Amino acid sequence: MASTEADYLHIVTADNISAARIRFGKTIIWASAALLCVVGLVQYLDTQGVVSLGFETWRPTLYAFLIWASCLCWGQVLLYGERGKRSLFVLPAALFVVAMVVFPLIFALGIAFSNWNLSSPTGRQFNGLDNVRQMWADPFYWNALKNMVWYTLAIVVEYAIAFGLALALNAQIRARKFFRVAFLLPLMLSPVAVSWMIGKSMLEIRFGPVAHLVRELGFDQISFFGSPEMARFMIMAMDAWTFIPFMMIMILAGLQAIPKELHEAAEVDGASGWRRFWEITFPLMLPVSITAILIRIIFKLKLADIIINITAGGPGGATDSVTSFIFREYRDRSNVGYGTLLAIVYLVLIVIAMTILMKLADRWMRPRY
Amino acid sequence: MKIDLYKYAVAAGLTRRGLLKGAASVGALAALGGLAPAGRALAGGHGNVRAEILKVPGVGMGSPTDADWQKVGEMCLGPTMERVAQGEFAGVELTFMGLNNQNLHNFLFRGFLKPWEAYTGAKINWIDLAQADYNARLQQSIATGTVDFDILEMGAPFEGDTAGRGLLDEMPGWVSEQIDEGDLVGYLQPPVGTWDGKKYRVTIDGDCHTFAYRKDYFGAGAIGGETVPSTWQQVNALSKALAGQTDPLTGLPAHGYLDPLKGWGGFGFYFIANRATAYVKHPDDPAWLFDADTMKPRVNNPGWVQAIQDVMDLIATPGAYPADQINADPGTTAFQQFLAGTGSMLMWWGDVGSSARTSDTSVVGDVVGFGINPGSDRRYNAAAGAWEDVANEAPQMAYIGWGIYVTARVSGDEKKRKAAWSAAAHLGGKDLSLWMSAYPSGFQPYRNSHFNYEEWEAAGYDRAFVEDYLGSNADSYNHPNAAVEPRIPGIFQYYSVAEDELAKGFAGQYASAQETADAIAAAWERITDQIGRDSQIALYKASLGM
Repeated sequence: MASTEADYLHIVTADNISAARIRFGKTIIWASAALLCVVGLVQYLDTQGVVSLGFETWRPTLYAFLIWASCLCWGQVLLYGERGKRSLFVLPAALFVVAMVVFPLIFALGIAFSNWNLSSPTGRQFNGLDNVRQMWADPFYWNALKNMVWYTLAIVVEYAIAFGLALALNAQIRARKFFRVAFLLPLMLSPVAVSWMIGKSMLEIRFGPVAHLVRELGFDQISFFGSPEMARFMIMAMDAWTFIPFMMIMILAGLQAIPKELHEAAEVDGASGWRRFWEITFPLMLPVSITAILIRIIFKLKLADIIINITAGGPGGATDSVTSFIFREYRDRSNVGYGTLLAIVYLVLIVIAMTILMKLADRWMRPRY
Repeated sequence: MKIDLYKYAVAAGLTRRGLLKGAASVGALAALGGLAPAGRALAGGHGNVRAEILKVPGVGMGSPTDADWQKVGEMCLGPTMERVAQGEFAGVELTFMGLNNQNLHNFLFRGFLKPWEAYTGAKINWIDLAQADYNARLQQSIATGTVDFDILEMGAPFEGDTAGRGLLDEMPGWVSEQIDEGDLVGYLQPPVGTWDGKKYRVTIDGDCHTFAYRKDYFGAGAIGGETVPSTWQQVNALSKALAGQTDPLTGLPAHGYLDPLKGWGGFGFYFIANRATAYVKHPDDPAWLFDADTMKPRVNNPGWVQAIQDVMDLIATPGAYPADQINADPGTTAFQQFLAGTGSMLMWWGDVGSSARTSDTSVVGDVVGFGINPGSDRRYNAAAGAWEDVANEAPQMAYIGWGIYVTARVSGDEKKRKAAWSAAAHLGGKDLSLWMSAYPSGFQPYRNSHFNYEEWEAAGYDRAFVEDYLGSNADSYNHPNAAVEPRIPGIFQYYSVAEDELAKGFAGQYASAQETADAIAAAWERITDQIGRDSQIALYKASLGM
């Protein structure tokens, strides 16, 4: 007879688990696992044409997975009693993550190293590192990556503006609540709506009000998306307009959490406003700022909708982002294998870059006393 | 008929006599106890079905409703009744995949097929797709082997992806007879709709690019000269000459031809092709994008390079294009520029002409004229590898048009197969198609019998309008040197990647037109290799009927 008693602290009940129960628990886990393997294997052989059982979908395997997952959870309780019940708080979520994230990721890796054009009669074929070689020599991908560097650097300016706005909204100004809501409005708009309302309508070269204003100011032959630099700047500006409120609201929350006493003490000590900002506000805001910037970078790296709608990556690729390029490669050209590889490489680059950034941020945020 | 066009016809082109006549007929039929019994009688082959269906609901009597579609569907059941016994398809269930654009397409098909279902006993289940989802859904169904539909509404460019892979069912001979295939306009005759000599398509639509121009730019004393340009050489010369002049209508800077310089999900390629077909579509050779024997791209031959160079010449001429042209896609050139009074010449599908008169934002309604794709003083002979000093014309049948296809899912079940083809034939019927041409349906005229202007006039349309609008389409459709695009797998992949390279070329990132064209050709070679060169060659030849 097995017992969990005295093994761990904080055990509420002493489970006296019989050998038969343990046997049963192990049996259902292994039996359901075997069922999953068999069903999966049979379905695989069916798709390969080795056997012909007429499966139309992969649902039998899905059902077998669900049975195995249920048995695994139940088995934990049978085998480990209360400890097993505790694991039920995490196990279903872990299985869900495996099913919805890890499995697709592995599947995606398989596709990424394949030659798979949806129009090809031969279907998907493993092609080793060919996609990587193609990517290495693809000027469109490198151009898009270079553009992403520019887009990401623009976050520095966005941060400065967001900080300024947050300071203003944190001050005792009139209609403060109104401005807080008003400044948040762009964030509530879909980037697609921003593309059409601003990029395609307000900035329309002939009838757009902004174009009118610029002409009134004496500029002729304006073109907001005509030159590479201008087009890139306009995309940055529209994206910034949408997302600055996000950084602003995070920084504002941070500012409101700073104890007033600190400022008062500094004021008593005779520190100027500028000094108080640099010596108190800014250092105390560093953790919030870093978090806001990191989240903003993640948003920025996904930049695509505005570009797809307004410039389609042009002129001559000047505004192309990695995501908008992958969109064209994947959707317009049905190049699933190569498109997936580009996305996976981009994901790896993002993970590496974010890890480095977080390490650096961790170092910067340590107190300097 | 496209919705805008119908609105225009009703608002501006309808004759009072015709309207009264149409209303009187409808009233008389209603007094006789409703249209349905009359429809039955007509469907049986008695009376003039064509004239009667055009009175449902009557031109100028508001937009047709589901009741009208059902009524027309019932009135056109005659050919079905001749071939199918009542209740013959009882117990048969079919799945129909099509579009729901502008609440048309499948919405109409449902109405048209309801009386067919009631008569034959078959049941149809519907898969409605938005245009943007269509390509992905179709490609994924094909790639993953999950074709879950029996009847399919599809554009001819996808025939390579479907018929080329044996996913479609061959059309039985009786269907060709029922839909009177000989009536289709020239370019829709085989090889379009066929693969390896087998027929697969019931045509329900036509598509081509036509030339639209501003009449106020041309004529005695006008800034564009006496006559409308008829060749691309003239178009370019005029576009350069107009730089710096003032538009007679808007008072803003005048411009000539409007080339879209930005991509449009692959569709933008049709517009450089408009220029190129005049140079490279040789009357002796149906191929003009690839060499049929090798799939070697022709896009970098001197004819194509000339077309690209023409655009680059205009980019290099200050004021030839509006300021932001590098960021103008075909939607912009048509709807934000041409219709709004910017530019004087444009190539587009037929609906730009109707929108010119019906759109609230259009200012050119009274001064727009139509013609066919400009030609060229000389043409490039790809076979000989040399220019010929012979004038050439080649209207481009951009996108070819929609058709109804039956998938191979029904091939093993003769009853189901006959039911599916009967439904397709009903939708592509000669009489029903006239109604679809004359009322909002999303489809363009595509039969020679659609250009019988007397029928339109009798239905209440203004003859001058009908002749003006339909004339340029008819001339393009039946042109002996019409350029029909290849119906090979992945054709839009070629277009899409060409757009990317053209954008770089137009932005000055390549040294010349030749270099731009070479980059496109290299990208096309990669796509061909990826999809499979041998299969592409076989399918290309099959699509050309070679």
